[in-house]
Amino acid sequence: MTENCSSPNKGIFSATICANKQIRQGFYRLKLKFSGAAAQSFAKARPGQFAELDISGIALPESKAIPEELTDISERKILLRRPFSFCDVTSKDNKTTVEILYCVVGPASLRMTTLSAGDSLNVIGPLGNGFSITKNKKTALFVAGGMGVGPLLYLAKIITNDYPDTIVTALVGAKTKEELPFKGRLDEIAQQLGFSLPEFAMYSIESSVATDDGSVGYKGFVTDFLAEWLGQNDLEPQDTIIYSCGPKAMLAKIADIAQEKKIDCQVCTEQMMACGIGLCQSCAVECKVSNSNETIYKLCCKDGPVFDSREVIFRI
Amino acid sequence: MNNKIDISVDFAGIRLANPVFTASGTCGYTNELADFMDVNNLGGFITKSITLKPKKGNATPRIVETNSGMLNAIGLANIGLDEFIKEKLPILENLTPAVFVNIAGQTIDEYVAVAERLAAEKAIAGFELNISCPNVSKGGITLGTDPVQVAEVTSAVKKGAGRKFLIVKLSPAVTDISVIARAAVEAGADALSLINTFTAMVIDIETGKPVLANRTGGLSGPAIKPIAVYLVNKVYNEVAKNSQIPILGLGGIRTASDAIEFIIAGASAVGIGTANLVEPSCAVKIIEGIKKYCTDKKIANIKELTGTLK
Repeated sequence: MTENCSSPNKGIFSATICANKQIRQGFYRLKLKFSGAAAQSFAKARPGQFAELDISGIALPESKAIPEELTDISERKILLRRPFSFCDVTSKDNKTTVEILYCVVGPASLRMTTLSAGDSLNVIGPLGNGFSITKNKKTALFVAGGMGVGPLLYLAKIITNDYPDTIVTALVGAKTKEELPFKGRLDEIAQQLGFSLPEFAMYSIESSVATDDGSVGYKGFVTDFLAEWLGQNDLEPQDTIIYSCGPKAMLAKIADIAQEKKIDCQVCTEQMMACGIGLCQSCAVECKVSNSNETIYKLCCKDGPVFDSREVIFRI
Repeated sequence: MNNKIDISVDFAGIRLANPVFTASGTCGYTNELADFMDVNNLGGFITKSITLKPKKGNATPRIVETNSGMLNAIGLANIGLDEFIKEKLPILENLTPAVFVNIAGQTIDEYVAVAERLAAEKAIAGFELNISCPNVSKGGITLGTDPVQVAEVTSAVKKGAGRKFLIVKLSPAVTDISVIARAAVEAGADALSLINTFTAMVIDIETGKPVLANRTGGLSGPAIKPIAVYLVNKVYNEVAKNSQIPILGLGGIRTASDAIEFIIAGASAVGIGTANLVEPSCAVKIIEGIKKYCTDKKIANIKELTGTLK
C-alpha cells in the first residue's frame, strides 16, 4: 500500500560542498556531494527525512554582512548540530548530491552562508521517517508554509517520477512575497497566465501562492486558501491526500480541514532537536493513543518527522 | 607500543576494559548508539533513567542551546521498569561493557522497588542512583541536596540491590558537595559519579518568558567542565581518596584531554554526556586519545594517573 519511508543506512559522513547559492535575500540553497558508502545511504533518502549538520567549526561572515537583528546572537558559539530536510537528492556515478534549502535566522544558519565549494561538512543522516507515498490516490495536494516547501520539492520529484498518474497541486504560503523561498521576481511570475512556481513547474506540477499581506497571490493564510480550493474543486476524499510541511499552527489547521473533509493527511513536523537520533529525547511530539484519552510523546527525530495528521495533538 | 599500555580500570571490584562510560540520558539503551559505534568498545554504559512507572516527560521546548552548552528539561521521560525489562534488558545482555541502570524516583520506596526488581538480573553490573535531576518536581535534586535524605535513599537502595554495585550521582547545586558525598559513602555507596547538570534558565527577551516549557533546565556541555573538574578534585581530596571510593567524573567532556583532566583531578573513570549528542561515536576517539597520552607519557597503567594533581 505504501512505500518504505525510512532508510536503514544512516551514519556519520563527510560531505563536500558543491554550491551555496543565495536565491533571494536571506534564503540559500546548499548543495552537498557524497561519495562511497555515504552516497549509497543518501541515494535512498526519502522526502521528509533529514540530516544533522555540524556547523560548529564554520566561520561567521564578516561583520558588515551580518544583519543587524542577528548581531547579538551571532556571538553565540555553536555546540549542537542543526537538522535540515532535503529539497532534492540526485544520484549518479556512485556520487549523490543532496540539496538543502535554508534561511538565515540565527547563529548557525548565519555561519552556513560562508560555506563555499570545496569545503567539507560533517553530516549525520539520513534520519527519521519521510512521507509515505500512497499509491492509490488520484490527487495529491502539497501545502507548504515558508521554509516547509523544502521537503515538498523533493516529494514533487519522487511522486511525479514514480506515480505519473497522480495529479499534484502545490499551495505555498508565506507572510510576504519576500519570505517565499524561491528565485526570481514573484510579482512578475504572478502576472503571467497560469501562475506557477518554476520550482514546481519543472515537475509539471501546478502551484499557487498565498501571502498574509497579499503582496503576491492569494491574500491570507495558505490554510484559508486550501479550504477555498477544496470548496471549488470537487474531489473524492478517498482518492485525495494532503502532504504538508510548515509551522505548527498551519499544520494544526490543515489537520482540522483534512479531518472535516475526511481526506488523508501527512504532516512533516519540526521541534527543537539536539541529537536527531533518539538519544536526547528533546524533540517530543504529543500524540494520541488509540481508544484512550491519554497522550504520549513520540520523537520527531525517530518516530517522525512525518506523522499522520490524525495522530498528532497540536497545542497552539 | 600502544598494546603494552594498560588502560583497564578496577572500578571498586568491577573490571572495566577502559575508563570511558557513556553518561545516563545521552546514550539511550545502547541500540540508538549502536548505529554509529561498536558499543562494546566502551568501558561502561549507563542507561537513561528508569522509574517504576513510565514517565511522559515535560512539554516542549525541552532543550535550548547556550554558549558552549545546552539546557535540557526532559523530565525523566522513560518507558518504565516493566517495559525496560521486556524490551531493553535483552539488548543489554550480551554487551562487554559494565552496564549500570540509572534509577530515578519520587520517593525512596520507588527507588528501592526498581533496584529490587533488577537485583537478580545478570545483564547489569549495578545501579546509578539519580538523586540530582533538576527537572522534576519531586525526588531528584531535592533529595540529593539533603545529606540525611541522601544517606537514607542510598542505604535503602543498597539493601534492595542485593550484591549489585551502587553508584550515587551527585548534584553540583549544593553548598558543600563533600558533605553529600560523605553521606552517600557512609551509607554504602560503592562509587560516586559527579557532576549532574546545573539548574539554569534562558529567557526569550521578545516574549519575556523562559525558553523551556519547564522554565528551568539542567546546564551541561563544555561550559560546565572547569567547575566539574574542580568538584571532582574536591570530592577526591576530601572524601574519596581516604575511603577508597572511585569517582566517575563527568561534565562537559568532549576530548581525551578533557577526560585526562578529570583523571588527574581524581576520577578513576569518566562519563561522556552532551558530546554524544553531537558526535555519537566520540567515546571511541576519547579511548584512543587516552591510550596515546599514556603511551606518550610512559604511563604503564591508567590507574597511576588518578589523583596525581600537583
